[in-house]
This record gives sequence, structure tokens and C-alpha cells, in this order.
Amino acid sequence: MPPVWYKSAPYRSRAVIDPRGVLADFGVTLPDDVELRVWDSTAEIRYLVVPERPGQTDGWTEEELATLVTRDSMIGTGRALTPAQRPRAPS
Amino acid sequence: MNGVHDMGGMQNFGPVVPEAGEPRFHAAWERRAFALTLAMGGARVWNLDQSRAARESLPPAQYLASSYYQIWLDGLIKLMLERGLITREELAEGRMHEPPVPIPNVVTADKVTAALARGSPTERPLAGAARFRVGDAVRTRVLNTPTHTRLPRYCRGKRGTVTMTHGAHVFADANARGQGEPQWLYTVRFEGSELWGSDTSAAAVHVDCWEPYLEAG
Repeated sequence: MPPVWYKSAPYRSRAVIDPRGVLADFGVTLPDDVELRVWDSTAEIRYLVVPERPGQTDGWTEEELATLVTRDSMIGTGRALTPAQRPRAPS
Repeated sequence: MNGVHDMGGMQNFGPVVPEAGEPRFHAAWERRAFALTLAMGGARVWNLDQSRAARESLPPAQYLASSYYQIWLDGLIKLMLERGLITREELAEGRMHEPPVPIPNVVTADKVTAALARGSPTERPLAGAARFRVGDAVRTRVLNTPTHTRLPRYCRGKRGTVTMTHGAHVFADANARGQGEPQWLYTVRFEGSELWGSDTSAAAVHVDCWEPYLEAG
């Protein structure tokens, strides 16, 4: 199930006209030269974002990279985790 | 319908507020309203687009003042009243007065998991060829459909470019009227400036458009 914010009037009204402002509400600030493209899924097709690969991940396996992917990074309201933000693997 | 549900581009709703822990429900009745709506959807007395139409055609002031699941519950009540599955007296008293109306399908607990996993694919076979191809310049028609439509107000009469084709799918506008004919479905890219002028931070907005929404641009 989607989180409540995804179904709320603020998100539904603003994502298509001011995505940079919506990202700021999530604490995500991107450089001005990063172009923002919105996908409004008006039919039954659903989209997910393949997040940009973070730095410091040369030589990582697919499984290791997957640990950096969050739900929000696939919605497009956040970036993938950096290696430093990665949750610690169970030992 | 040009209803308040079609709020893309409206301003002054305030910031998006993520919640810690993201609780799915905020009261026990919300869980029940959600389950009831899914169960009655599975009864096949109405389709998905008819249930959307019921929610969207609630009185505008009521819609905007209601929580998400309150809208679901009010939409469900409306559908059940319209189709004679409950009466106003039964609703008011919480007791059955009339014998139950037969329904095409009863979603019992043992069927729920499989039904949810199966989903409701909308792709359909359609003879002939799609009118547009990737790269084609198109313009959305200026439509003010009084019944359910999925063409947002913010992208009517706007020029765009087809970026994806998806085959033919159940056409929501017709499905909401109980007519099932599929239509070709496209993803159309609109430049932010085409939709909003300079008052936007979107470089582009992609919208899924069925062929009846489009003309050659």
C-alpha cells in the first residue's frame, strides 16, 4: 500500500507543477542543473525509477548495490543511499 | 468530470508531510472501510473506474474536507445505494431490512490473497493499428467530459510528443460508463513550459493518454 503522503492533496496537486518543492519537503535538494521529469501515471501503467548509482561503489556486486536502493529512491522522491548511509548488515 | 479530485497544479494545499513509521491506517474503521471496498469491488457489481467515478463525484466541499478512507467509504455507500444493495434505512440503522440482492461473486477470506496477487490487468487485444508512433507530435483534445476521465485538466489542448506505446488497454472513460472497448495507450511527454509557462520546476511531465485524448499535433 502506498504511504498516506502519496495519496494526499499536497503531493497530488504539487508534484506535477513544482517537483523541486515537493523534493524539498522530503529534505532532498538537488543542484539547479539537475532536470526534473515527472511521470503522472494516469492509466494503469506503473513506473519505477532506477536510482542513480552513488559514488564510492566501484566493484560492488548487484546484491551489494541493491542494499542502497530504497522505496523512495524508486518512487523518485529520494536518492539511493550512499555507502556511508547503508544499514549495517547483520553479523 | 472537472472535479476537485483532479488537483494537479492546484496551489495552497501546503507541504507534503511524510509520517514517521508510515502507519497504513489511522483508525480501526479505516482498515474496515478499506477491506469492505476491496470485497465489494470483488463482487463485480461495478468496475474500478466506476468506483473511482463514485468517489470523484462526491460533493466538492465534502471531498476536500474528508480523509482518504472517508472518501472511500462514502464512495462505497454511494455505489451500494445506487445499485440497490442497501437502503438508506438499513444504512441508518445498521441492520438488514430487505433480503440480500444476489451478486456475481462473493470474495470470501480464502480467496483474498490470490485475488490481490492476480491483480487486474487492463491490456486487451485490439484489431488494426495504433494511430501514433513514438516520436509523433500530438496535441491533447480540449475535452470537458462530464463523466469519469483520466485526462487531467492541466494537460488539455497541450502539445506533446509520444515517448512510449503500451498496446491497447481498457479505456477508463468508457469503462466508467459500463462500456468496455479498449483503446491504444501512449505515454506523452509535455514540456513543463507548455503546461505551466515559466512558473514550474518541472522540465517535463509525462502523462499516459488513450488515443481518444489525442489528435495529430
